[in-house]
Amino acid sequence: MRLSRTSGRAAGALEREVLASLAVAGRPLTAGEVLAELGGGLAYTTVMTTLSRLHAKGALRREPAGRAYAYSLASPLEALPASLTASRMRRLLDAEDDRASVLASFVAHLEQDDERLLAELLGRGRPADGAQP
Amino acid sequence: MSPAMTLLMGLPFAATVVLRLVGAPVGRRLPPATAVRLLTVAALVTALATGFVLAVAAFLAAAALPPVAALGHWSTAALRGGGTMPTTVGVLAGLAVSVLLAAALRRAARSGRDLAYAAWMCRRLGPGAGGLVVIEDEHPDAYALPGLDGRVIVSTGMLRALPADERRVLLAHEQAHLSHRHYLYVHLTELAAAANPLLRPLASAVQAAVERWADEIAATEVGDRRLVARALARAGLAQATAPVQVPPPASALRGTDHGMAARAHALLGDAPRPRRALAGALVTLVVITAAAAALTAHDTEHRFEHAQALYTSSR
Repeated sequence: MRLSRTSGRAAGALEREVLASLAVAGRPLTAGEVLAELGGGLAYTTVMTTLSRLHAKGALRREPAGRAYAYSLASPLEALPASLTASRMRRLLDAEDDRASVLASFVAHLEQDDERLLAELLGRGRPADGAQP
Repeated sequence: MSPAMTLLMGLPFAATVVLRLVGAPVGRRLPPATAVRLLTVAALVTALATGFVLAVAAFLAAAALPPVAALGHWSTAALRGGGTMPTTVGVLAGLAVSVLLAAALRRAARSGRDLAYAAWMCRRLGPGAGGLVVIEDEHPDAYALPGLDGRVIVSTGMLRALPADERRVLLAHEQAHLSHRHYLYVHLTELAAAANPLLRPLASAVQAAVERWADEIAATEVGDRRLVARALARAGLAQATAPVQVPPPASALRGTDHGMAARAHALLGDAPRPRRALAGALVTLVVITAAAAALTAHDTEHRFEHAQALYTSSR
């Protein structure tokens, strides 16, 4: 566990959030755009520091965009061999039909009742953010 | 067998039955972190105690046979003084303990193999900034790959299904599995369940509690329990409605008790309370079981010392 915290986040946690945002952005993002995406009371300088640190580690590449830099992942995701797609890897790890597995999955297999309850929960949650009709 | 000895040797089996019956409900009522730790210790201690008591029963029956007694230099008459172990019980106990020990060893080997494979996979994935590996795959998926230097694996399909604040929940949940070494608890209870199959429900209870534990850590981190419930719901539905259906993994927790809806439901309520009385009761059960095994060992050793002394003096 890293101890330095920024707005309730461990330093490593913010790095992962930034990486995840850049991974799905589809184009390079500036610090301002990353901040807008993450929101949640982060300071601009915090995002800037995180981006610089990730760039220094070699995880990000940057290009000038106006007066700022736009950041993208240093290694394109497609570069990963096909055997490493998430589901193939899971199948490999789950090959034996024992119950325990090395994987702890965020999402378990859904029962039909679960599906209905979760849909209701989202219906009550936030009405419009693109993921739901 | 003296009644006291029979009672002592029966205690670990009684504890097994109690744990089998109450394991799942206790796991749901205790705060998840407490549930995982206590149930793991309870499963391990009880599995060890039952295995040990079975081995002692087999040994006592064998020791009463004259050729074995001659070999061990002890007086069978003195052993019988404390009551005999019926041969059939001894043979059955011996068979049971061999089968269970073999199952436990197989399970331990499999855990070692799984963890070694995960470690190899982590190395292959490279350093991965912040321990995160994003994989280009439209199927929504996310999991923690365990190891001393584990990785969080997330597919782009999963990241795209979630808004940024819910992605934060997902990443915090997976990181919690790694930071708190959840895989160790899961593997240890699987080992206990292999050594004593009646404890199987405890392994399932620990797997369910581990997910709840990670949910609670994520909730603390983002400071919003409802947000975690929503992230769970959206991720679950995204995976359920994905065009390419991957068969549910063997590790998936089944049954509504462990299910996604139960986890979401728990998050919509208040944060879990300590429940000291329940935790205390579980600790007491574990201590009694361990004490029964220790007293069995002590008593048996004492009987054999006595029987050997008589054997020597009768020469």
